[in-house]
Amino acid sequence: MAPNVSRRDFVKAALLAPLLPSVLAACRRADRGPVVNFFNWSNYIGKDTLPNFTKETGIAVRYDLFADEEEMFAKLRAGASGYDLIVVGDYLIPRFRALNMIDPVPPGVLKNQGNLAPDFRHTPYDPDEATVPYLWGTTGIAYNRKTLRVKPTSWWDLWDPKYKDRLSMLDNVRDCVALAMQLLNIPQTTRAPDDFKKVRDLLVRQKPLVKMYSSTSYLNSLVAGEIDLAMTWSGDLFQAAKDNPDLDYCLPKEGTYMWVDCLALMRGSRHRQNALRLIDYLLEPQVAADNANFVRYASPNKKAWPLADPILRRDPRVYPPPKEMAELKMHHVLDSEQTELWNKTWADVKVA
Amino acid sequence: MKTFDRALSWLLSGRRSAASHLLLAPAAAWLIVFLVLPALGLVALSLARNGAYGTVVWSLNLDNYRRAVDPRYVPVLLRTLGFAGATTALCLILGYPLAYFLSFRAGRFRGALIIALMVPFWTSALVAFYSWMVILGKEGLLNSALLRFGFISAPLGILYTPFSVLLGLVYFYLPFTVLPLYGSLEKIPRSYVEAAYDLGADRWTTFLKVTLPLSLPGVIAGALLTFIPCLGDFLTAELLGGPRYYLLGNLISNQFLMAQDWPFGAALTTLLLAGMIGGLWAYRRWEPDA
Repeated sequence: MAPNVSRRDFVKAALLAPLLPSVLAACRRADRGPVVNFFNWSNYIGKDTLPNFTKETGIAVRYDLFADEEEMFAKLRAGASGYDLIVVGDYLIPRFRALNMIDPVPPGVLKNQGNLAPDFRHTPYDPDEATVPYLWGTTGIAYNRKTLRVKPTSWWDLWDPKYKDRLSMLDNVRDCVALAMQLLNIPQTTRAPDDFKKVRDLLVRQKPLVKMYSSTSYLNSLVAGEIDLAMTWSGDLFQAAKDNPDLDYCLPKEGTYMWVDCLALMRGSRHRQNALRLIDYLLEPQVAADNANFVRYASPNKKAWPLADPILRRDPRVYPPPKEMAELKMHHVLDSEQTELWNKTWADVKVA
Repeated sequence: MKTFDRALSWLLSGRRSAASHLLLAPAAAWLIVFLVLPALGLVALSLARNGAYGTVVWSLNLDNYRRAVDPRYVPVLLRTLGFAGATTALCLILGYPLAYFLSFRAGRFRGALIIALMVPFWTSALVAFYSWMVILGKEGLLNSALLRFGFISAPLGILYTPFSVLLGLVYFYLPFTVLPLYGSLEKIPRSYVEAAYDLGADRWTTFLKVTLPLSLPGVIAGALLTFIPCLGDFLTAELLGGPRYYLLGNLISNQFLMAQDWPFGAALTTLLLAGMIGGLWAYRRWEPDA
């Protein structure tokens, strides 16, 4: 031991020394090696999907989560996010394209694009296939079979005073405003200030009953029994039901919306090839099936269907038969003026 | 070497030496770049218009301010003032005895107690509030304990009430009140207190006539340091408040994140800042020996 090194210094150094190579390796891995920066909804990817991708390709995935699309949009619009790949809801695709925030996926570079079911190709919201469908699902009602004696059947159950402080609504402008419009028979194409006032009034009328507006933490509350009834997205509830088998999902009799989340390439992304590689990987039948089985949403990948968990594959609430599938509505693509009206209405409801 | 000497004498000579300016420069530059310029940007943004898909169209108009004074926002303003006022009052009521104890009675435990006071303050508010959610929830620690020991027969709905918001605010802002209070109590010469006792004053009279008046600057500083940040708080109401207790901070954050209406959010922020600065200015004018 050198005479001018105190014992304590030596011990400290000896304790830290073994960590050093791994710290350096971690830095190197993040900075030098191939990476892709991926921005996705929370609870929206299989546990092993990304680690397996890294194992297979050597591309590290820097993975970030969001809990609300409008917030995601606000963050990305503020600029230089550094993300390469993002997940965008169907109705947002035209907005991202109008603002030049995403680049179209070049045709012909994805070898697995043909795995997608025809229903999910050249769709109205993305006719030239600038993005790649990732997963899809429906919006419905989650409920606790044990604490609720009557099974909810109608969206109006969410306005029933007997569920005061026992229900939650999604903290999402798209779902809530669309639901109010559906219940009021107002078409989504409207621009009439009067219609938006009615929408606002209906949602404000519900507010005294609502325990929380939430798109993620309400799932914990459902599992814990804090609430018994919730507006939910199908797969999120099926995931929560793994922790509390009393939870169930219903599609209300008035009908509901389906939505498709798509993978999109951020404009100005520095890791374009890696992002495309990840998209192609997610389109592989086994990967898509494992992913969908974990998150409990439906896959738009036809080749993945035979590999899907049979319980999910047979569940009409996950993969509806063609007739019911045709009855599911898609959200109207809003222009900027309508977007503003929707967002303002929702912001007003939140502070009312 | 000669140049260096000349530079040094220039730095240190004069009524206000250049050195003092140089010493101030980093802080001033920091404030200008990270406070003054963004604040001016905010004012400029508040005069802009909201364009397609929430893009900003630069212009000069007062429409956003006209919208901000809409009566529908009055309840939010009143609610915010109410919560901020109640939080400040509770922090003073809880904080004064605490600061008094720390300063006059804690003895050799003082250091440890001050650290204990600061630890929650160093924790991220997010982590702290999520922990409170775990404690206050229907199946949370508090309800389970109360049920277990038979104090209640059904779980209490404590989370997502005004009470849980107030609890979160008081929890978070208490150190802001206690530290200035403690500072001002520490500064009181103990000989004054002893003199009061020598002249026959009992404990209460000493406290009311000597200690309390001398600690008033700390009371006011603590109250301001609690009240003002409370006005802009949004995390507490967002996490512990449920939907019916949104505050001004939530209204503003909603404009930026949800409504995609940055100019309107900027106008609301400008008004809030103007209100705070105006309040501070009025207070300084009114304060006798500021």
